[in-house]
Amino acid sequence: MNTKRLILILLTALGAFVLSACSGAPAANNWHGLAADAERAYISSGALVYAVDLNTGKEVWRYPAEADSKLLFYANPVLTDDGQLLIGSAGTKHSFVSLDPATGKEKWAEAFSKGKGAWLASPLVLNDMIYAPNTDGFLYILDMNGKEAADPIELGGALWAAPSTDGTLLYVTSLDHKFHIIDIASGAVADPIDLGGAVPSSPAVGSNGVYVGSFASTVEFIQPNGRHEVAASAGNWIWGSPVVDNETLYYADLDGKIYSLDIATGNQNWDAVQPDGPIVASLVIVGDQIYVATEAGTLVALDREGKTVWEKTVGAKIYTTPIIAGDMILVAPYQAEFVLAAYDVQGKQAWTFTPEK
Amino acid sequence: MWDTIIINPMTNILVWIYDVLGHGPHMFGLAIILFTILIKVITWPLNASQVKGAQAMQELQNDKEWQDIQKKYAKDKEKIAQEQMRIYKERGINPFASCLPTLIQFPIIIGLYQSITHALSVTPFDMLKLARAIYPFQNVEGIIPLNSTFLWMDLGRPEGILQNLIHTSFLPNGFPLLAVIVALTTYVQSKLTMPTSTNPNDQSAQMSSMMSIYMPLLLGWFALNFASGIAVYFIVSNILGIVQYAATGRANWSNLLPGGNKQTAKKK
Repeated sequence: MNTKRLILILLTALGAFVLSACSGAPAANNWHGLAADAERAYISSGALVYAVDLNTGKEVWRYPAEADSKLLFYANPVLTDDGQLLIGSAGTKHSFVSLDPATGKEKWAEAFSKGKGAWLASPLVLNDMIYAPNTDGFLYILDMNGKEAADPIELGGALWAAPSTDGTLLYVTSLDHKFHIIDIASGAVADPIDLGGAVPSSPAVGSNGVYVGSFASTVEFIQPNGRHEVAASAGNWIWGSPVVDNETLYYADLDGKIYSLDIATGNQNWDAVQPDGPIVASLVIVGDQIYVATEAGTLVALDREGKTVWEKTVGAKIYTTPIIAGDMILVAPYQAEFVLAAYDVQGKQAWTFTPEK
Repeated sequence: MWDTIIINPMTNILVWIYDVLGHGPHMFGLAIILFTILIKVITWPLNASQVKGAQAMQELQNDKEWQDIQKKYAKDKEKIAQEQMRIYKERGINPFASCLPTLIQFPIIIGLYQSITHALSVTPFDMLKLARAIYPFQNVEGIIPLNSTFLWMDLGRPEGILQNLIHTSFLPNGFPLLAVIVALTTYVQSKLTMPTSTNPNDQSAQMSSMMSIYMPLLLGWFALNFASGIAVYFIVSNILGIVQYAATGRANWSNLLPGGNKQTAKKK
């Protein structure tokens, strides 16, 4: 009987351990968020946000100084013109903070903590106002000191993506398949548009409207007056934001295909280009090159014809959209030995950054 | 392997039930309840064998031959073990029959917890994993994201009420009503199923008594700290367990009263 008792106690203890190890209450894990200015890269990586010197790849600061189990950072940090770095927590503590990009010190007297859900989306800063979407379904409107400047706008579903704007209207996507158009001046919200699938990414602003990719495997073209139509389709979910470049729309899907659509004619410019794995990150276009990061862990540079210029194996899955900082491409692989790597435009690795414990 | 055999099938069943129910608010909670009933129906024969096994073991504790062996070979544990095995064989008793359902419960609880958090996908990475776990026949585009609202709860997060009145570091979500109900129903279930014993040295009875305190606290702690969906599972599972046991006519209602077990034992 003693053995039986021991087995039961061990089993319950094992159960507790396994459940605890399953990442309990709040947001479990996610890929990194990334931003950069001329001097530093800023990477949100779970419990900490790091600033990394672009020249040396060395850590400049980390926030908070000691990891807090209630704080988790996954959104892309946002730099403002008045020298702030904005980032919200996706942990059980829903703090939205402003940091000094040079030092990592908090700039606001107190963090904004009215959001009831995780901050997975980056905020949009426009005309000295911060528009911060939260997974609680509200779009919070703050001034540059972190105080509420207007009542939050309830949109419904979880908001995972930064709003886009044409200067007059805000375009906000939601995970509950809805697309929202908000008049910035009046705060009026138009009737939501159902896109047929969840939308985890921001709309791409074109000349006459916006383009939105969704889990319905389509790119919808939506005009400011709310009229909308399917502009293009894909073979699988579209996760990253489409990119509008002059008269061409670029987008990719979870099948790993990259599309180039002639907006004027609605024709595809090439047969789908398919590097080596699903594509979650948005495409990045600089000059004549299109940079693509795949889940298979490859950074690919394509020309405008879809031909591979070079490709580089980064060594781990890539979900975060790469960013361009000066003459470098920054890539933040997920669950890799390093959290950030810098490449030059020829694909040569300049440095990697691994946080010290 | 674990994902393929346990998590993905469970997640798909939950998502399928949710879809059939109309995938609106409160439907994921109902899906968990229906899923729990399904699990209970599937494991009904095992639970019945647990009850039978526990009863047989209990009767053995009060058996004269068994007690004589304990006395006769009190100083020879090896001999006691041999004699016990002989009696088990002779009477067709499997001493581990009552443990098996417990063993099966653990993968279900762990799998369900992971399935709930998996299905509710609170981060993009979770969502990506979910997309790959859903079987092709399901209308995943239309279903995702699942609505995690159930009554006053967010099933993907720990539950609590009266957050404005109660907010401490120990109770960050307010008063944990569900955790209390989980602990209470677990206690009631374990007390009802606790057999009576006339043998003062009955280790089985001692263990049952210990577990009737230990398990409510443990499951209450789970409910306090983990996704409230798992607490819903515990409560429904406990209530069904109580109903199932009561249906056998062996429920020991007097055990719920202070000293009830002793009184019953004396009567015998």
